[in-house]
Amino acid sequence: MTPPSISIVGTGYVGLCTAVVFASKGYKVITSEQDHEKAASINEGIPPFFEPGLEDLLQRVLKENNLRCVLTSEEAILNTDVTFITVGTPNKPDGSIDLQYIERSAQEIGEALKKKETYHLLAVKSTVVPGTTENIVKATIEKYSGKRCGINFGLCVNPEFLREGNALHDTLHPDRIIIGEHDKKSGDFFEAIYNSFYRAEMPSIIRTTLPAAELIKYANNIFLATKISFINQVANICEKIPGADVTVIAKAIGLDKRIGPLFLNAGLGYGGSCLPKDVKAIINFSKSLGYNPIIFNAVEEVNKAQPIITIELCKTILKNLPGKQIAILGLAFKPNTDDMREAISIRIINNLLNEGAKIVAYDPAAMDNAREVFGNDIQYANSAIQCLKNADCCILTTEWEEFKKLTPEDFIQHMKNPTIIDGRRIYDPKQFSQKLKFKAIGLGTLT
Amino acid sequence: MCFANKGFKVTGIDIDSEKVKLINMGKSPFREPGLDELLMKALGKRLLHCTTNQEHALEKSGVSFITVGTPSLPDGSIDLDFVGAASQSIGEALKKMNKYHVVVVKSTVTPGTTEKVVKPIVEERSGKHCGSEFGLCVNPEFLKEGSAIHDMLNPDRIVIGEYDKRSGESLEKFYKDFYGESMPPIIRTNLTNSELIKYANNAFLATKISFINTIANICERLRGADVKVVAKSIGLDNRVSPFFLNAGLGYGGSCFPKDTKALIAFSKSLGYMPELVEAVTKVNEAQPFKAVDLAEKLIGNLKNKRIAILGLSFKPNTDDLRNAPSLKIVNFLLKKEAKIIAYDPKAMDNAKKIFGVKIEYASSAIKCIKGADCCIIITEWDVFRKLKPGDFIKHMKKPCIIDGRRIYNTAAFLDDTKFMAIGL
Repeated sequence: MTPPSISIVGTGYVGLCTAVVFASKGYKVITSEQDHEKAASINEGIPPFFEPGLEDLLQRVLKENNLRCVLTSEEAILNTDVTFITVGTPNKPDGSIDLQYIERSAQEIGEALKKKETYHLLAVKSTVVPGTTENIVKATIEKYSGKRCGINFGLCVNPEFLREGNALHDTLHPDRIIIGEHDKKSGDFFEAIYNSFYRAEMPSIIRTTLPAAELIKYANNIFLATKISFINQVANICEKIPGADVTVIAKAIGLDKRIGPLFLNAGLGYGGSCLPKDVKAIINFSKSLGYNPIIFNAVEEVNKAQPIITIELCKTILKNLPGKQIAILGLAFKPNTDDMREAISIRIINNLLNEGAKIVAYDPAAMDNAREVFGNDIQYANSAIQCLKNADCCILTTEWEEFKKLTPEDFIQHMKNPTIIDGRRIYDPKQFSQKLKFKAIGLGTLT
Repeated sequence: MCFANKGFKVTGIDIDSEKVKLINMGKSPFREPGLDELLMKALGKRLLHCTTNQEHALEKSGVSFITVGTPSLPDGSIDLDFVGAASQSIGEALKKMNKYHVVVVKSTVTPGTTEKVVKPIVEERSGKHCGSEFGLCVNPEFLKEGSAIHDMLNPDRIVIGEYDKRSGESLEKFYKDFYGESMPPIIRTNLTNSELIKYANNAFLATKISFINTIANICERLRGADVKVVAKSIGLDNRVSPFFLNAGLGYGGSCFPKDTKALIAFSKSLGYMPELVEAVTKVNEAQPFKAVDLAEKLIGNLKNKRIAILGLSFKPNTDDLRNAPSLKIVNFLLKKEAKIIAYDPKAMDNAKKIFGVKIEYASSAIKCIKGADCCIIITEWDVFRKLKPGDFIKHMKKPCIIDGRRIYNTAAFLDDTKFMAIGL
C-alpha cells in the first residue's frame, strides 16, 4: 500500500512538529495556514517558533519535497487521505475551553469533504474536553459535508504528549499512542498508519472511545501538574525546617517505583501553554458536570502561590525593594524553548515591578518574546554576566544549561550585592552559601 | 524476622508479655503472608528470641531498632508516648553497656523528633554522649502490609538519616552485610530529611490514589469513559508510573490516613498550610460513601434491603481493619436501615469486635451473597475476583453488583447483571 498522504490543519507548535516528523519519514505532508506571512516563512524553512532541531529538519523535508504549506484547509484536504487537526484550544476568561478554532476548522473540513469522493480519516490532536469530538467536530463536519461519520469519513482522537524542547524526540519515541475511535474502521485505519510509521519500534497502543481519549490527555497533564505542586509543597515545608532539603527528599521518594523520579523538581511552579491551561479547563469542565475536583483546585492554588514565595524571600533579604536592581536569569517557561506563555518569570517580574524594583533580564532564547511582554518596563541584557552587573539580587527563574555553569565567583565579581535566590535548585547550596548570600526553594537553614 | 532469616541474631522486645510468649511459641500476633513460616524457621535456628527484658536484649546486640507505634492524636499530630518510653528504656540499658551501640528509629516520626526527643532522652538516661558513645540513625521503612517480607528483602532503596558519620557508616555496614550482592541504592542524609522522606513518600502515594479517584468521579459523569482505561494510559507515561493508580473506595490502613494527617498537622505547626495534601485527605474521606451512592442509584431506597459486603480489611492479604473504608460504608448503610451480611477471608474476628451483632457474618463469599438485594465489593481479595456473573445470578435475590475496586470484567457483568462500578 502506498503510504497515505497527510494534511495538518493548524501550524502551531504541535502541528508543525507533527508535520515535519511525518515528512521526515517520507510521507507527503501538506499543512494549511491562513496567515500568508507565516505560510511563506514555513515554505522558506523558517519555523515561527524555537524548537531544537526543528529548523534543520524543516529545511530537509522541504528540499525533499515532502512538505509544503498551503493557504486553505480545502486544498490540503482534497490532496490528502488523512487530516490531523492541531488548532489551538485556549482558555476563555472563566477558564473554560475556547473552541472557536476547532469549530471553524471543522466547518472548513466539512465543506472540503463535500467535494471529496473518497474515504477520509480525521484525527483530533488538539486538546479538547471530553465530548467535544463527538458533539462538535463530528456534528459540524456531518452538517457541512452532508456525509456520514463512520461511513464516508473516519474520526479519531489522538492526543499528543510532546514536551516543548523535546518535541521531535518525543514524537519519534512516545511512551504510548492513544487512539480514541468513533468506530472500528477509523481506529484500524489509524493504527495502520502508526504501524507503518514506527514499524519494529511501535510503542504500546491503547484504543478506546473518543471521550476516554480526550480525558486521558487532561488526566496525564494534571497528574504531572499535581506532581509539581506536591513537591513544591514539600519544598515549602522544607524551607521552615533547619537542615531540610527538598532535593534530597525528591531523590529518595523518586527511587520508589510507585512514584518515579521525573517531574519531582521543586521550583517556582509550572508554566507554559499546556499545564496551566489544561488544569483550568478540567476544573471548569468537571464543575460543569456538577463535580468539584478539590485536588485540582489545590494543585492550581499551590502553583499560583509559588512565585509569590520568591518575592517574599527577596523582600526578606533586601529589606525593601524600591530602587533595588534585580537580575532575572531565565524568562522562558522552561529551558530549550523561547515560549513565554504563562511563564513564571512574568508573574515574578510584574510583582517585583509593582514593588518598585528595577529589573534587568536575560534569557538565551526568549528575549524577543520578552520584549513583546514587558516593552520598556525592564532592561534587557545580552548575556548572563551582563545581567548580573551591579545587581542587588539575582533570581534564577529558568534552569538553562548555561546558567548551571556560573560559579560563585561570577556572581561575586559582577554583582553589587552578591545574593542569589535559586528558584530551580541548580546550584550546590554548600558551595554557594559559603561564599555569598544564598537562598533556594525548598532549602531549610543549613545546619 | 527478615534479619534473623539471613543469619543475624535478633532479639525482639515488647512490653506485652502475652505477645512475647506468643511469638516465642511461633505465633504471629497479626496476619502477614509468609510470616508464620519464617517465624518458625528463625525460632528453630535459635536466631530469634523475644523478651520483655530490654537491658538483656541490648547487651547482646550492636544495633537496636525502635519500631514502636506513633498513633494519631485527635488533632492529627502524632503521639510520641511510645517513642519516649522506648528511648527511656534504651537509655537505661545503654548505661550498663561499655561498647558502641547504634540506636535506629524506624517508627514514623515528624521531622525533628529524633534530634529533639529521642536523643536527649537516651543521653539523659544513659549518661552517654550521642555520637561518641552511641550512634543514632533514622531509617524509615517502606513496607506494604500484605507484602512486608518481600518488600523488606527487595526494597527500592534504603534511606539512612544519620546523626553523625560514624552512626551512618555503622548502619550502612549492617545493611551491606544483610543484602550482600543485592544491596539496593542507599541514600544517606541527615535525621530531619529522612524523617520527612517517609511522610513525603506516603503523602505522594495517597495523592496518587485521591487523584485517580477524582478522575473516577469525573468518568462516572461521562458516557463512554472508564477510569481503568485512563489509568492504564497515563500509567504508561514514565513520568507517571503505573502503580497506585487503581481507582476505588479510598485508602485506609494504619499508615496513609495517619501519615497524611500528621504531615498536615506538622506543617500547620510551622505556619504553612499544605492545601494539596488537605484536599487529598478530603477526597479520601468522601470516597467510601460513593459505594452507598451507587447502591442507591442501582436499587433505590436501601431500607430493609439485604446488602452483601464482600471484603472488610483495608486491603487484601491482611486482617487489618484500621481506617478501612468498609467501616464507613457499613455504618452508613446501617444508618440507612439496610441489613448487612459481610464476609472477609481474614478479617472476620476483627470485624466481630467492631460490629458485634449489628451485622450478620457469612462463612464464605457465596453464603454472603445468598438472597441479597445488592452486593458491594469493598476489598479486592483474589477469591472475589474469581466470582462469575453466574454466581451472583444464581445466589442473589437480584444480581445487583457494585464493584468498588474494579475487579470485574465490565462488559461481561453489564451484559448479565445490574452492574455499577467506581469510575465507570
